[in-house]
Amino acid sequence: MSTQTLTLDSHKAGTPPGDLAIWFFIFAELLAFGIFFLSYAFARAHNVELFNESQQHLNRESGAINTVVLITSSYFVVRAVAAIREGLSRRCVHWLGAAIGLGGVFLVIKLFEFHAKFSAGISLSTNTFYMFYLSLTIFHFMHVILGMVILAAVMLKARRGGYSAEHHTGVETGASYWHMVDLLWIILFPLVYVIR
Amino acid sequence: MENIMHNIENQRSQFIRPCTRVWLALLVLTGITYSIGRMELGGTQIVMLVLIITFIKGEMVAGFFMGLRKTSLLWRAIMASWLLIVGGGIAIAYLVGLK
Repeated sequence: MSTQTLTLDSHKAGTPPGDLAIWFFIFAELLAFGIFFLSYAFARAHNVELFNESQQHLNRESGAINTVVLITSSYFVVRAVAAIREGLSRRCVHWLGAAIGLGGVFLVIKLFEFHAKFSAGISLSTNTFYMFYLSLTIFHFMHVILGMVILAAVMLKARRGGYSAEHHTGVETGASYWHMVDLLWIILFPLVYVIR
Repeated sequence: MENIMHNIENQRSQFIRPCTRVWLALLVLTGITYSIGRMELGGTQIVMLVLIITFIKGEMVAGFFMGLRKTSLLWRAIMASWLLIVGGGIAIAYLVGLK
């Protein structure tokens, strides 16, 4: 193991960690969600009472718990990246497994929330607020699933010894995508559940 | 061997420990945002506070977790611009809704 392999910035100086291609994908995703967030905000501006009234029926607790779950999951991914930078594959696998587990917790909580809404007869066509609430959160839900699939693929490769302190771009690439999923929820939660 | 140990310690002190502090800060800020929601507080000042907290959280995730704080200005500027445009747009929309 060379000295250089254990330096903090294993990626090329000045560029973000992971494969550069994922960053173009991340910024494209951020652009799409950004437009979605602003569409929600301006639709609310024209239906303030409806949005405030409908928002009261959301389960703010599950939204907050899911924020904690995703933030913690993101932190576990940070630990996985740190582990592989030290060449500790097993530890990396464990942290990734824990992060994926929390991703599963997020999905289960969200499914309970969706079930409650659908059981109450709420759908995309109920009103403008629920159209945005359901489409935004379902769109994000799909991204959590994709992130978990990516992390699982990275974890399986790490378990087979496919990454090392010298070569771990794949771990950083998966990590970057997962952090984006977390970042999007950090904005979605106050926007949909809190701001009134 | 000494160099390797030194670099591992560097990684822990420059990457893991700051990220651990950021994780704890994110949890605290989430608690504040949730409390504002639970008390059903509204109004321009409260909403601006929530948006500032959200911007800080976003910058923390991008800078520390995603590692952008170690990248060139361009990458950091793109992310900060996105956060500012989205946060600023939400703030403008909120003010429009007050009229």
